[in-house]
Amino acid sequence: MNFSYRIAYVFWRNLVSYKRFVLTTFLASLIQPLFYLITFGIGMGAYIGHFGGKPYLYFLVPGVLITSVMMTASFECMYGTFVKMVHEKLYDSLIATPVSAEDAVAGDIAWGAFRGLVSGSLMMIVAIFMGILPVSLVSVLLLVLLMIFVGILFSSLAMIVTAFAPNFDFFNYYSELVITPMLFFSGVFFPLDKFPAWMKTLSLFLPLTHAVAISRAIFNGTYTRGLIFNFLVIFVLEVIAFFIGVRLMKKRLIK
Amino acid sequence: MKPIITALKLCKKYGKFKAVDRISFEILEGECFGFLGPNGAGKTSTVRMIHCVSPLTSGTLTVQGMDANIDNRAIKQNTGVIPQEITLDNDLTVRENLQVFAHFFDIPKAEAKKRIAELLKFVELEKKRDSKIDQLSTGMKRRLLIARALLNQPKIIIADEPTTGLDPQARHLIWQRLRQLKSQGVTLILTSQYMEEAQQLCDRIVIMHQGRILKAGVPARLIEEEIGREVTEIRVAADQDDRLLAVLGPLACGHERVGDTLYFYCRDGRALMKKVLELDLPDTVHRPASLEDVFLKLTGRSLIE
Repeated sequence: MNFSYRIAYVFWRNLVSYKRFVLTTFLASLIQPLFYLITFGIGMGAYIGHFGGKPYLYFLVPGVLITSVMMTASFECMYGTFVKMVHEKLYDSLIATPVSAEDAVAGDIAWGAFRGLVSGSLMMIVAIFMGILPVSLVSVLLLVLLMIFVGILFSSLAMIVTAFAPNFDFFNYYSELVITPMLFFSGVFFPLDKFPAWMKTLSLFLPLTHAVAISRAIFNGTYTRGLIFNFLVIFVLEVIAFFIGVRLMKKRLIK
Repeated sequence: MKPIITALKLCKKYGKFKAVDRISFEILEGECFGFLGPNGAGKTSTVRMIHCVSPLTSGTLTVQGMDANIDNRAIKQNTGVIPQEITLDNDLTVRENLQVFAHFFDIPKAEAKKRIAELLKFVELEKKRDSKIDQLSTGMKRRLLIARALLNQPKIIIADEPTTGLDPQARHLIWQRLRQLKSQGVTLILTSQYMEEAQQLCDRIVIMHQGRILKAGVPARLIEEEIGREVTEIRVAADQDDRLLAVLGPLACGHERVGDTLYFYCRDGRALMKKVLELDLPDTVHRPASLEDVFLKLTGRSLIE
């Protein structure tokens, strides 16, 4: 593995290009989570009433927030990276400079995480306008860190998919078979404790479950010891996914 | 002149396919060295190893005294690459493309600004500096690729088929610029399938075919050795061959029948042409021998796919 500070240059390149898309991506990354908030939060929230002494939205917002980080980071490192690699051959010209393949891929993973952070932060701002606030300023700060942390995980996982992708259609497998089920089995919309045992076990294998658990705890200031386990699961998976993602992408880029 | 690049029994395999098959060559400092060959001859694979984006399968390759391998950032720092494909950053403007690349080479901001202004002038793209890439013609894109390759003031420039798909004006402008760079002492490595390009630019060439070097040398001398000085092409039915060869054969140093054409290669074609006029063969072309004749003779005239 040949990493250097040039990761930052790759990130910067993405930032320079981003300024032309920033508004459209705002829209794209807001709409879906916003629908979840409105339909589930306000529509269903009216029937569900209170969850642990607080309105349902306090349960929903931290879950949707981290979901939007997952979605944006994943899609950036699938479609975004694929376009740069296959259609625009940008990686080819990057690795002809002192930037190594590892730098380029890590820079894009960092970029995916940043895009996730932007989406998640936008959600948080919308929630704040709806009057759904994290318990404290420290919580806001911790949520930002969490979003970056979770963004790197999902960017890295998406990189693994991209390393194998022969075309765009391939990404459907990942988004339909992994991302979408994760959305429904990770306790984003409902607490997991009413699910049958097998489903609870299954959910433990989904990284989003752990991310949502931490997000919800931070948002509402209800810390428990179990969070250490959630954190460790994400951390270990993230380190593994990052190195595998970089390695596989390098294999694809350098022939 | 001393060698700046040395390859010894260089090999590149993709799976079982041998793209480059134990080739050895030396490129001297300050010269223009051409890799010629049909598609799939191994030219691009060879130069990709030189600029450290493709690992060697075996053999040794030394660039500026350093071992070439994919993690050698020092070689990449001193090399400029004009790629075969247009790999510009479509999301950025002309100037931003260069700015981002200046970053990759750790060029300080003020210095980068200065170099970008100079380079845009050099490739005549000053007026386009704020244009998006899709607003440029192919020729402009190629010129921008040249500017990008020069940002780091490289000692070695690798131009991988730099004029493919260009109109004559754009092609000549690029040749001008490449010659200008050479006169500034840069070592130029060119791959091409255009023989005219190689004749225009290269001091020495190698002709590659199926991963091997068939011939190496100075273009003019190669033509002289392989073909002679002049070529006479006679378009005539094959059943006339015996009759014509009996008369013209002794006057030429070689001949070849390809499709509808009979080729005669000569050192001095005057006697032969006189005979051709006597025979009143209307469909005849008499011309100086070119590198293309050498190329076709060595790599064969059948299509290579």
